[in-house]
Amino acid sequence: MLEPDSVPSAPSSHEAEVRCRGWFEAHGTAVYNYFRFHAPLPDVAEDLTAETFFKVVRAYASFDPHKGSQKAWILTIARNVLTDWRRRGRLRQYVSIGSMHDLVHDCPSPEERLLKEEEVGRLLDAVATLAPADRELIGLRYGSGVDTAETALILGISEGNVRTRLWRVLDRLRKVMHE
Amino acid sequence: MTDDFDLPPELRKLDHALSEVRFEPRASLGPELMGRLRHGERAKSDVSSRRIRPALLAVAASLVLAAAAAFLLMHTPSVIVDRCCYDLDGGGDADDGVVLLAERDARVHRLRVYEDRDASGAFSDGDIVRLDRGGEPAMRPGTGQHLVTTEHCCLDFDGGGPDDDALLVIGVPPDRVMMAAIYERRPDAARSHRGADAFPLR
Repeated sequence: MLEPDSVPSAPSSHEAEVRCRGWFEAHGTAVYNYFRFHAPLPDVAEDLTAETFFKVVRAYASFDPHKGSQKAWILTIARNVLTDWRRRGRLRQYVSIGSMHDLVHDCPSPEERLLKEEEVGRLLDAVATLAPADRELIGLRYGSGVDTAETALILGISEGNVRTRLWRVLDRLRKVMHE
Repeated sequence: MTDDFDLPPELRKLDHALSEVRFEPRASLGPELMGRLRHGERAKSDVSSRRIRPALLAVAASLVLAAAAAFLLMHTPSVIVDRCCYDLDGGGDADDGVVLLAERDARVHRLRVYEDRDASGAFSDGDIVRLDRGGEPAMRPGTGQHLVTTEHCCLDFDGGGPDDDALLVIGVPPDRVMMAAIYERRPDAARSHRGADAFPLR
């Protein structure tokens, strides 16, 4: 498992800014989507994303490309940020329709967009009923879009374990959706 | 999404639905982040730890100081105790005080009875010294016929901590002090058949 906060460092402000810009351009959307599977509001996801990249800048010297990809390392930091946020008790267990103005869609009409938002809202509401570890897996796989190997690296489990768990989580989710 | 391994058919629809969910952060988030970084903003946890760290240091420093103070209190060989204001010379006014240099809870090295002329509530330059003695609680020469003995109890006269000391003063009213000494009152003194005179004077 990656340990992003193990070697903190203090880069110069210009160097940090340059690095942060590049990393945000490459992985900002993935991090934001990861949080969006956990946070009910775009504002919250934005805050968590910003918090993640502040931490990334602080700990950038500890990134070791031999241990995993940059994206996996940043998402490991994002996981820690999410855990801290959960500890602070700000996690709401529902997704309200109308708070998805950041949803990407190709709906030609407002009505279709509304239906799409409702569908995604139901889906994320169902995800919100899962155990934290299951939500974690869903957020990584579908939110940030990392593959099995990277998911295994971030969670510190084997790839086979990722597959097995994902099947079970999806099955649980399917049952929740049909209830 | 899960193209790197096969899912059972009944889960593929859900997998596909989840894979379709995409959010786009507002376009200004990146520039805003850079700006905040440029202005020196840090992660909240860093900020809180920076706030907590001085507080922890202050607490640690307080504990060290308290420990040092306790150590000094217990191991300082001598202590000066100044008690004011009582009627020690029999003059009728509670304007007298006593200053002691003593080993904590033990031997008295110096004892001075004074009249608090400047009403400062402590021994000061303007006060009149009625008695100044060393380590031995002896009577001053020239003892007359009208000695009056008074006892003031109970206070911490020797810096030991508990208010378990009594001050014995022998004098000639209204302003002469012939002898002064302290002694420790024991908890069983009231029940003891021995009087206060059985306690060693210091």
